[in-house]
Amino acid sequence: MTALTPPAAGPAHLTRWLIRLHRPALLLWTAVVVAVSGVLLWLRGPLADASAAAWKAYDACRTATCGYDQAAIIHYKDVYAYTTYAVLAAPFLVAAWAGAALTGREMETGTARLAWTQSTSPLRWFASRLALPAAVVTAGTGLLVLLHHLAWSAGKGRIGTLKSWYDLPTFYANGPVVVALALAGLVGGALAGLLRRGSLPALVAGLGFTGLLWYAVQLVMPHLWTTSTSVVALKRFAPTGGGLGVDEGIVTATGAHVSNLTCGNSENDECLAFYDRFDAVGWYRDYHPASHYWPLQLIATGLVLALTALLTLLAFRLLHRETGARRRSS
Amino acid sequence: MTDTALEAAALGKRFGRLRRSAGWALRDCSFTLPAGRVCAVVGPNGAGKSTLLALAAGLMAPTEGVLAVLGGPAGEARARVGFVAQDKPLYPQLTVAETLRMGGDLNPGRWDARAAEAIVAGGDLDPKARIRSLSGGQRTRVALALALGKRPELLLLDEPMADLDPLARHELMGVLMSQAAQHGTTIVMSSHVVAELEDSCDHLLLIGGGRVRLAGEIDELLETHTRVSTTADTDLTPHTVVESRTTGRQLTALIRPAAPLPADWRTGTPTLEELVLSYLRNPGATTPATAVKSRQESVA
Repeated sequence: MTALTPPAAGPAHLTRWLIRLHRPALLLWTAVVVAVSGVLLWLRGPLADASAAAWKAYDACRTATCGYDQAAIIHYKDVYAYTTYAVLAAPFLVAAWAGAALTGREMETGTARLAWTQSTSPLRWFASRLALPAAVVTAGTGLLVLLHHLAWSAGKGRIGTLKSWYDLPTFYANGPVVVALALAGLVGGALAGLLRRGSLPALVAGLGFTGLLWYAVQLVMPHLWTTSTSVVALKRFAPTGGGLGVDEGIVTATGAHVSNLTCGNSENDECLAFYDRFDAVGWYRDYHPASHYWPLQLIATGLVLALTALLTLLAFRLLHRETGARRRSS
Repeated sequence: MTDTALEAAALGKRFGRLRRSAGWALRDCSFTLPAGRVCAVVGPNGAGKSTLLALAAGLMAPTEGVLAVLGGPAGEARARVGFVAQDKPLYPQLTVAETLRMGGDLNPGRWDARAAEAIVAGGDLDPKARIRSLSGGQRTRVALALALGKRPELLLLDEPMADLDPLARHELMGVLMSQAAQHGTTIVMSSHVVAELEDSCDHLLLIGGGRVRLAGEIDELLETHTRVSTTADTDLTPHTVVESRTTGRQLTALIRPAAPLPADWRTGTPTLEELVLSYLRNPGATTPATAVKSRQESVA
């Protein structure tokens, strides 16, 4: 202990104490990010190379019994799946922590009130609770997403079992939507902590919010960009156009599109009756080709970030009304 | 420094706005606390004492009315107000020394490390001990050190001495009183034990059922009230009767005399406890407006 601290007026060091109070969480997050990043780099380099070599051997095989390294293929596939889910878990991890530890526990045990009766206002306290974690979460999740994208790209054209760009886990783990979702989880969890006044309910609320938000994003995402449509004659019974499917059905004699997702490729009585009823002459399929990847990602990210900003504003207004701070004092 | 520490006008706080049976924790509270006083906030459990202190500390906004703290809106005087909540919240993972360092970091320009460390040292606390390992009384000591270290002009203490042993209670009360004497700090402390506050406080705020029942200088309140004994058939008008009780042919009452009392009445000055209990037992007794409004000269 120092005997005398010179009373130098300056900014309150809220962030320093935020780091001190949440040091274990920060260390854990760093460890998780470093570990998953390491695995992703491994996946991108040696594992992808080994798998590609095995695929090359397999593709070159012309006889019934030729050797190729099947284990390498399976290994790449497994590690890819694990890391994808690890990246996708980030928003939930952040939301659970934000709800339980960042605000929930402080509201529950009254230490938030302790902080508010030092020289800083509740609004500044809350701002400090969001600012650094937002930066850390963005950096960590952003790094994971970037490395995941690189690891996935490394297999393109070389690995037969590589997930397509529109495979949902891959789609999300490859792009910035996950980063935005992690930020939304941070704010949603912190807001839940302010509202629920208990760490466990806030943890559950933070997780639930993130899950529901993700579900909502998944529902609207295909409609965020105009789809491409491919049309084929009915006889071919297979609408072409690889990519993220949105809708498919039949084209009638008048050129109208009638959506039907169940009669895709079937000749059963029900479907044949359906074709007859509408006088079907062809198939159509609305889908997003690979070129729509970035527009879809960026618009979804923008939407989630806008919602996050709205929630942040809501949390500040709530705290402002509750504590009656007239303005953000210094 | 303003000469008024707290000034409430028609202050009210309601919890649970959504329910129809929403309860008012405080209602229609108007009082003035001059700066430099040591004020006891007294009342039964659930009377609204904690709510009043939390409002003054800027932890919640009033539902109606105004509460001025050190001359400005509550919450704007944050840097000049110290607050110790009833359950003495502290970060359990920090050590005692870290907790005090945090006090210095969060109160830049105000922190008196020596004063804070002296309070902690008075309890033989190991600075390296984690807060979670401390007893209730030890935590109270650290919480008080944190609140006093920022050299507040107004110190709000919610049931501060509840979990202290008599020795620590005596010592810390001494620390508080010397703080008040040395720096002119206004101290507001709540308790439901009147005896705990009688010796150290000079101002009283009696709260019952969410309303201010009595407010003013303790000496003045005791002077303006008289305990009288007379015959049962005596008419007590024009005096204000706080409480009266007839036992056989004997009438005892606590009154606020409005005129000189007849010589044949036996009179006496009530104790603070008698005064408090009389008001609390009789929610219908009118609150003396003069006492509520009386403004005292500032000490500071």
